[in-house]
Amino acid sequence: MFGELLAPRFLHWLFDGFVLTLILSLLTCLVATGLGFALCLARISPSRIWSWPARAYLALFRNTPLLVQLFFWYFGVTALLPEALVMWLNQPRSLNLVLFEIEWPSFEFLAGFWGLMLYTAAFICEEFRAGVGSVRVEQRAAGLALGFKPAQVWRYIVFPQALRTALGPLLGQYMNALKNSSLTMAIGLAELSYASRQVETETFKTFQAFGFATLLYVASIALIEVIGQLIARSKWYRQGGV
Amino acid sequence: MKKLTALTALTLAVLSGLAHADRLDDIKKSGVLRVASFDSNPPFGFVDAKSKQIEGLDVDYAKAIADKLGVKLQLQPTNPANRVPLLVANKVDLVLANFTITPERAEQVNFSIPYFASGQQFIVKKGTLKSEADLNTWRVGVDKGTVNEGVLREKFPGAKVVAYDDTPFAFTALRNGNVQAITQDGPKLIGLLANVPDKDKYEVPPFTISNDLIGVGIPKGEARLTDVVNETLTELEADGKAQGIYDAWFGPTTKTPLTRLYKIGDKS
Repeated sequence: MFGELLAPRFLHWLFDGFVLTLILSLLTCLVATGLGFALCLARISPSRIWSWPARAYLALFRNTPLLVQLFFWYFGVTALLPEALVMWLNQPRSLNLVLFEIEWPSFEFLAGFWGLMLYTAAFICEEFRAGVGSVRVEQRAAGLALGFKPAQVWRYIVFPQALRTALGPLLGQYMNALKNSSLTMAIGLAELSYASRQVETETFKTFQAFGFATLLYVASIALIEVIGQLIARSKWYRQGGV
Repeated sequence: MKKLTALTALTLAVLSGLAHADRLDDIKKSGVLRVASFDSNPPFGFVDAKSKQIEGLDVDYAKAIADKLGVKLQLQPTNPANRVPLLVANKVDLVLANFTITPERAEQVNFSIPYFASGQQFIVKKGTLKSEADLNTWRVGVDKGTVNEGVLREKFPGAKVVAYDDTPFAFTALRNGNVQAITQDGPKLIGLLANVPDKDKYEVPPFTISNDLIGVGIPKGEARLTDVVNETLTELEADGKAQGIYDAWFGPTTKTPLTRLYKIGDKS
């Protein structure tokens, strides 16, 4: 019905692309969560020295298309960097980490990760902020009245509730990050979308190539969803363990 | 009765085919050589802004063939898709329109010996490419979804291939140093470089990794006409006129200088 399947060689291409998509998305989500949390702290800080730069960051990264941002980091910024540094960044090399060796990522990967991470962090920051906003201000006052120090109020009263509220939207942002990673093909990163297009060009089996890519995306998004469900149903979460 | 009609029609068709089988005589009798060429594909065939006439490399060869036959040249503008139909329908005598020789086309038309070759080449920063083999370890930019990408992977399996959406993007990556070379058809690369402000920093190394041979399209079965065209082309190469035509369009003093790698009569 759908014609022949793809030869193993092409499935291998798709698989390589998929692995790269997963690594890129995972790294992005991890780092962006940290940065997003820090941004959120800055954004809700009463001091303007902190909150205004955070506001500017959010406005800049949330109000411009990700594709333009990726082009900016990959094509725009490298045009300004000294030639020797670009050469160094582009040189293939291995990092020797005592026990094992990993290949230094390509410049496309670095630029793609950097662009996607900064973009995602802006959205994650806003999810955290919405979570904090859901905890009524009176609770902080009550905490202080009970003799908590301000830091303890945040640690034991505000954040546990904020994180619980933010969990759903946060997972949504992780899914977005995974899907947005496909845009890095525009700067030549050989992730899943790039691989599917390449397979299509080589084999002319359009349906199979893009069909496979779609399935892999759907499967990984579903996995995030399942993880979310597991967390929400866990005893630890229901008993307010965050 | 029906059968007979069909048979008559067939016979007539065959006879008329035979009667026209010698196009060379027809051309000489009428004193006009009708040639199809491009009118918007510089520098092969394009309408010159000053003279308002179709000019170009293909046109120069057409003129040379007409001169050899001692007849007037009449040009017929065409687009790529019409080249074969024009020949098959006897609307023109020859096609000189950047016409790549392929086995599929050769079933429908005759081809002369090649008079031009365009091949996949590279742009690199001047002086960086010491030998062709270097490309095997380099990062090379290509256009996504082109034949060039496949050829590059095949010839240089060690090269790190980075595919971009189009040639200007690939060139930007080369300028920035993200890739060390980009690859495309030679004439296209030269056309791209012609509009770059700092073009002196780049070069197109004089070798190709694939060859599209361009020949004159001739109606199927016109053996004598094919011989005359081949003879003319061989003569043009022998007396240096072919080099002159090439230099007029791709020579070092033109806007699109490209080293001549293929000469008429070369085995490819």
